[in-house]
Amino acid sequence: MIHLAPSEADLHAYVDGQLDGEARGEIERWLAAHPERAAVVADWKRDAERLRVSQALPEHWPANPMLEPAHLRRRVRARRRARLGLAAALLLSLGLGTGVGWQAKQMQVASARLPMADAVSAYRLFAVSDRGDTLDAAGRAQLQDWLTGHFGPLGAMPDLQAQGFHLVGGQRLSTEQGAAAMLVYADANGARIGVYVRPGGWFREPGQRRDGELLAQYWSHGNTSFAVVSPFDNRRARGVASLLGPQG
Amino acid sequence: MTAPATDLDDATLRALIPRLRRFARSLVHEPAAADDLVQATLERALIHGRARHTPDALQGWLFSILYRQFVDEHRRAQRWRRLAQLFGQAEPEHAPSAESVTATRATLAAFDTLPAEQRALLLLVSVEGFSYREVAQTLGVPIGTVMSRLARARQALRVASETAPRSDRPVLKVLR
Repeated sequence: MIHLAPSEADLHAYVDGQLDGEARGEIERWLAAHPERAAVVADWKRDAERLRVSQALPEHWPANPMLEPAHLRRRVRARRRARLGLAAALLLSLGLGTGVGWQAKQMQVASARLPMADAVSAYRLFAVSDRGDTLDAAGRAQLQDWLTGHFGPLGAMPDLQAQGFHLVGGQRLSTEQGAAAMLVYADANGARIGVYVRPGGWFREPGQRRDGELLAQYWSHGNTSFAVVSPFDNRRARGVASLLGPQG
Repeated sequence: MTAPATDLDDATLRALIPRLRRFARSLVHEPAAADDLVQATLERALIHGRARHTPDALQGWLFSILYRQFVDEHRRAQRWRRLAQLFGQAEPEHAPSAESVTATRATLAAFDTLPAEQRALLLLVSVEGFSYREVAQTLGVPIGTVMSRLARARQALRVASETAPRSDRPVLKVLR
């Protein structure tokens, strides 16, 4: 027989089934004689049981493919490899001569720079809204003279009247390699395309890339590069842009 | 260097993942965030994997990694919350849903109102059936602390269940 009241810790251990048979028996006998404590313990037991029911069978939860063992292992391997690769690159750049290192850096810089990023930013600056549309006939003639001065016959402003686009603005710009220009064309519906011309002949093949809501199509002709920038989702503007293209 | 095949093989992982998800969801309400916690835990375990002799030890180890990750993230979040409060943009603590209809759901709703520390404790003890010693190891606290926290958590769950929304009362009565 037990005469001392069990400690609260004993009662919890009893609820959680963490007592051996003898200790459990003692608690049960004591509880039988103390109904008000027995009610509390019964509440605890019921709460625990309800919690168990509410949390039952997590095996039946919808599977998450991110938690597939194969996927986890792949990620861990990739992380290890990335770490190894970084260490190897570090060793390589330390071990190799400065000449090679410098060249590698140049290559890295070149690949990090997006082609014709300046054309896209010029479009965002000058062509997105019509606030820069101040070109009159005299201004147009002056701009053409300036373009011819810098780019020769390649600087001839394209005529897009047949496609419904007319020249509404032009910005003279400068780059590290020399003068550049952004010509802005608009049609009656407000679609706007930018024709960008700048020195440098990097593109052996014409290319295009999407930059947010814009599409830039670019190519080089001799030592001059061109980009036609248009809204990506405007198929007509895109069509005109491709019409201008490398052969245009 | 690599752990033996019996340690963290696919079958072991598959068996443990549901329970880790359950533990994570007791800590983090948002299911996707809970799964992220499990993912981070398992990746950590795979990277730092070392031989564990018994399945129980392995399971305790994974649960303790998960809990530590949660605590670290929680502390970080707490710091931000304090900072936000300083600038008068305190986010209201989200209230538990009031539309639970069964006693089980009422208990679960009450459970959700408890602090994460108490939720973790109750889940490990009542649902996972961990021994007090295993709980102490998982949560990284002395066993005496486990006992005092358990008493407080049970009391808090009781109070929260009693004050559950009125619509639950009849159901509770029926079940009694």
